[in-house]
Amino acid sequence: MSSTIVTAQTPSRISSLRVSQAQTVPWYVWSCVIASASIMIGLYWDISWHATIGRDTFWTPAHLLIQFAALLTAFSSSGLIFSTTFAGSPAAKGASVNVLGFRGPLGAFISAWGGVAMLTSAPFDNWWHDAYGLDVKIISPPHALLALGIGAILAGGVILILGEMNRAQGALRKQLEYLLLLSGGLLLILYLIFNLQNTGRVMMHSSVCYVAVVIGLPLLLEAMSRALNWKFGRTAMASVYTLFFLLSLWIFPLFPGEPKLGPVYRQVTHMIPMGFPLLILIPALVLDLLQANAKTQAWGKWKQSLVAGIVFLGVLIGVQWPFANFLMSPGARNWIFGTHYIYYAAPPTSLDVRYLFYQSTVNGFWMGMAAAIVVSILSARLGIVWGDWMGEVRR
Amino acid sequence: MRLRRLLTLSLLLLPVLLLPEAALAHVGSPDVYYDGYAGPYHLLVTVRPPVVIPGVAEIEVRVASNNVNEVQILPLRLVGPAANLAPKPDFAVRSTADPQLFEGKLWIMDRGSWRVEIKADGQQGKADLGVPVPAVSMTSARMQRALGGLLSVLGLLLVAGMIGIVGAANRDAKLDPDVLPTPVQTRRGYMGMGIAAVLIVAMLVGAYFWWGSEASANSKLVYVLPHLQPTLQNGDTLHLHLENPNEEAGFIRFGRQQQVERQDRLRLDDLVPDHGHLMHLFLVRKSDMASFWHLHPGQLSTAEFSQSLPDVPAGHYLVFADIVHQTGFPETEIGEIDMPAIAGKPLGEGNSDDSGSPALVPSEKVSALSGGYRMVWERDATPLKPRQPFWFRFRIEDQSGKPATDLESYMGMAGHAVFLRDDGQIFAHVHPAGSVSMTAAELAQRTIGGSSGADNGSMMASSSMDSMSASPSMASMHHEPPSSEVSFPYGFPQPGDYHIYVQIKRAGHVETGAFVAHVAN
Repeated sequence: MSSTIVTAQTPSRISSLRVSQAQTVPWYVWSCVIASASIMIGLYWDISWHATIGRDTFWTPAHLLIQFAALLTAFSSSGLIFSTTFAGSPAAKGASVNVLGFRGPLGAFISAWGGVAMLTSAPFDNWWHDAYGLDVKIISPPHALLALGIGAILAGGVILILGEMNRAQGALRKQLEYLLLLSGGLLLILYLIFNLQNTGRVMMHSSVCYVAVVIGLPLLLEAMSRALNWKFGRTAMASVYTLFFLLSLWIFPLFPGEPKLGPVYRQVTHMIPMGFPLLILIPALVLDLLQANAKTQAWGKWKQSLVAGIVFLGVLIGVQWPFANFLMSPGARNWIFGTHYIYYAAPPTSLDVRYLFYQSTVNGFWMGMAAAIVVSILSARLGIVWGDWMGEVRR
Repeated sequence: MRLRRLLTLSLLLLPVLLLPEAALAHVGSPDVYYDGYAGPYHLLVTVRPPVVIPGVAEIEVRVASNNVNEVQILPLRLVGPAANLAPKPDFAVRSTADPQLFEGKLWIMDRGSWRVEIKADGQQGKADLGVPVPAVSMTSARMQRALGGLLSVLGLLLVAGMIGIVGAANRDAKLDPDVLPTPVQTRRGYMGMGIAAVLIVAMLVGAYFWWGSEASANSKLVYVLPHLQPTLQNGDTLHLHLENPNEEAGFIRFGRQQQVERQDRLRLDDLVPDHGHLMHLFLVRKSDMASFWHLHPGQLSTAEFSQSLPDVPAGHYLVFADIVHQTGFPETEIGEIDMPAIAGKPLGEGNSDDSGSPALVPSEKVSALSGGYRMVWERDATPLKPRQPFWFRFRIEDQSGKPATDLESYMGMAGHAVFLRDDGQIFAHVHPAGSVSMTAAELAQRTIGGSSGADNGSMMASSSMDSMSASPSMASMHHEPPSSEVSFPYGFPQPGDYHIYVQIKRAGHVETGAFVAHVAN
């Protein structure tokens, strides 16, 4: 350790060290943001590829984007960690954390962990296909590991940005805030892509959809909005997700594509997108408006969680439920809402093709909804804890 | 095994072991061998279905002539709505070692009856051939040790890394640069690591149950070979009760309330005749393989069949019952029964297609038939090897060694052959057109859209009749009088000692030639 290291009890020393920080967005922050964006576009493209063409190889453009992101993260994070550990300047070492003897920014470690998780999931997934057949489900153990890895790369990017942002001021801080907003939006996209299976229009009158959404969304929205500390942070992040899904819905079908696998139950001539975005923008906006009220800011954390959890779920159900009816109607089968874009191998018996809702038992529905309320509140509470912590991350 | 998986998951890896169950139509012989014509082009097609569905099928197309330039392949469902919508075809690649061999791979995405469409393009234009392929999941792969080891190391790294990251997040992350953590913060770091370790263990336990439930759901999709229950009634009647162990896999369930019946659900009330009979029953005495019977039981009710037996010698018999579903999916139900000597009705009294012999004398080359006739296996000295498509050609000679001239069609074909490994674990009922069910073959000949296929039809009209008549299979499919030779395309799936029973019809009687074959490893 260098002689500049001081203890927590010497704040006077801190201010003098802050000036040593970079005045522009560091290269490793850019590389993390580029990797995160590449992954999300690649993932969406890959799912669309499977819904349209079916068969893929290691070399599809979608896979290449994801692999590029993994490599970029692996090189930049490990490069940052190794250079800080073995050849870092005193300033770099001083702004690092210690993980198993290695030094580097916390976000770099999280991203590197994500890269290793992605790497591990590849042979695991390959074996899974050999053992149980090719995926017919998005959610499987190796895919969960892959999603954890991708999530870690994105979260690592967020922490990396925060470490810089919380020490920056002026224009640099503003720039980093925009990058944080983008990264938060990408986290929302990742979470909701991973849950597509549970949140498609067929599931929108089922508690499964709402439980799936509230496990992650209040957490991410509360946490990121606290870290970002914008008046309309939640709305801005939900807008990133909404815009991403809308643009994808409108752009992907412009490109031709046809199945290379059987059985083909539906003639497909263009790339199939993933459907209209969930209306999370509305509850996000309501939560932002609520928080804008000075009174709510004085509430205790549990009360804030209670209100945030219930309001988020209530508003989401209030808008999504009737909107789902519209999505099932012929009026939504056009390029704007895109409910006529259906996976080439969806058999005529599938609920998607028949424009029918999945129905659980009445008991199951209400138990699910009760669980959704509890989960939503706890998710918001965890989000507040995480957000408060993120607001103070400095390394 | 549970302990092993728990250990594995604690390291984020290693396998669920599921025991393989041999299966498919036939028994232990899943590969499809098909001899047919795409317009004027004579093709021998081998399809090796994947052992896990979805998976990759290997396709080999051997062209009998030199006039094919290009072969394309594509998979379609055999029946139903997806039978009429084709994915983009793939090219089969011409082998550099053998220019008449084209090889390719196709993804088979779902269980059930498929049609692999072969599109041949050559000097006489374009033409198609449909090959029926039944596809089932037969096993679950085991994880190799090397892969397990690699994943273990990576898994350990992930667990240690995550614990370290959580420690750093609680200890260092909030500190300003160059500030050392206080003892309280250091303690908080360790506490975080402890809590992270507990949470990771909890997650791994959750993953263990998840993996287990996925493996269990998958095991329900693995095809189970059906076992029939044979019983002897009234001294000379064999009663057969069929089993349908794959019934449950015929439904896709959504929660507890909703379910959708799969198009290829296997059910016993949809059986259709295959070359004239709902069931082709084979009885073979296990001890010497010399007592062989090919019978055609009548259906009493959905799962019940009954057969009046001829004079059958006592012994322990292997029972193989071939059935075909409406979807074109063939199954073989197996069983075993001890029978006393049966004094039954003369062969053919109940069903003229019934045939068999109580005391065959198997041979490596020549099998004696009645009236001094002989059946000669036209084979060269090439050793038989597993998984190689092979033409099994048999010549029928009269007493003077001249080709027999009085052969007749037997159930619409020049002959029937059974390949049976001596341990009874491999069984295949093969025709001159190959190892497929003839009903499925007929379904597979439909072209896309259900039309008769003008292209195909015109090519047939202009094709060389010489080359067509050279194929016994096509001769039999067009009900032309059989020549003195009958041939069967087939490949032994595994090494071992096999019995081959070849049945032809001559002078109004069905005759059975018996041969033995050793298949080296």
